Amino acid sequence: MAKLSKSRSIESAKGHWIEWLTGSVSAIGVLALIGWLGFEALMQSDGAPALSVKTISSTRQDGGYLIVFDVENAADRTAADVVVRGEITDGNTVVETVEITLDYVPMHSRARAGLIFYNDPEGRSRVFATGFSEP
Amino acid sequence: MAIDQTRVDFDHGRFTRGLARGLAGALLFALPMFLTMEMWELGLYIDRSRLFLLLLVNIPLLVLLARRIGFENVSTWHEAVRDASIAYFLGVLASAFVLFAIGVLSLGQALPEATGEIAIQAVPASIGALLGRSELGGRGDDDEDANDPINDDTQSGYGGELFMMAVGALFLGLNVAPTEEMILVSFKMSPWHAIALIVSSIMLMHGFVYALSFSGGHELEEGTPVWHALVRFTLPGYAVAFGISCYCLWTFHRLDGVDLTQAIMSTVVLAFPCAIGAAAARLIL
Repeated sequence: MAKLSKSRSIESAKGHWIEWLTGSVSAIGVLALIGWLGFEALMQSDGAPALSVKTISSTRQDGGYLIVFDVENAADRTAADVVVRGEITDGNTVVETVEITLDYVPMHSRARAGLIFYNDPEGRSRVFATGFSEP
Repeated sequence: MAIDQTRVDFDHGRFTRGLARGLAGALLFALPMFLTMEMWELGLYIDRSRLFLLLLVNIPLLVLLARRIGFENVSTWHEAVRDASIAYFLGVLASAFVLFAIGVLSLGQALPEATGEIAIQAVPASIGALLGRSELGGRGDDDEDANDPINDDTQSGYGGELFMMAVGALFLGLNVAPTEEMILVSFKMSPWHAIALIVSSIMLMHGFVYALSFSGGHELEEGTPVWHALVRFTLPGYAVAFGISCYCLWTFHRLDGVDLTQAIMSTVVLAFPCAIGAAAARLIL
């Protein structure tokens, strides 16, 4: 696909000031990028992913009750295959269990998902992460 | 097409050949994306406003590209717009054809799904169609190129150089941007890896264009320090590649809800193929 006829072009020794301006701005940008990543690299700890589940909303819909939640990862490590389980309990017995697996919850980030219960989860449900793997 | 009809010596064979080349280019360049599972899924769930923006951005991109490398002696903006429209349509045609042929789309499917899938694939396919019309041109066309004012190197200014880098970056970047590997790799990396990747991307870009003696490569004028070209061309090139990478990931919902550092690292990963694409574009286009 190469157009072989294209001749080798020679860059002139003195560039236009626009070229130098663009070049300087880019250089500063790249250096800032490297600086930021270096700073983060020094500050990061090696701890395991710290996952927490926060319920966003609970609504009744056709065929069940939908609970939408955010899984947050407060650590500097990404968690993969995060299994989130939702349970409805009645006293000491578990009435219903639903489960979902999230592909990734990146470090300091959140992933949103939903669980659908058959029974009304109002006031007697809990949603929690049960496990993860390293990506 | 009105322009063509006014020409007395309108060559139907040549025009048909151009269309066929465009289709071939669309297939050649966009086939990896047609066969990527994530692209089919994206067609279903991509935010419609982001898809709309992508389709809009593609229009000036195609027109500028047609103006710069258009096959049929493109010398006016009218002709560039004409070529760009044809390429866009060929892209839509090619993506619809392939998606139906491989069974991803079926006639019973809901219209919004089908249009989403076709539209998102049409963007790389249309760029492919345009490149195919020009770059797949036979060697016999080279004499024409010599007389073609657009291909004259004196016309390709600094902005043009950066634009071609953006096209190259978009081209290689779009191929891998939708895949899960881009974010997976960034999850496996530490920030140190990311820094190493930035430095090697820039060195590779510079090496591609200046050190290796590819045809179409660039040389420095005698006595110019190496860092001159690095600052004037390679670093802006990397900035362009980084921006394109960021835009692709954002469009494909890979940065949603993600922390800044993690987003930067994913962008750095995709900026690597983008940088290679940008450097290659300076050699090829």
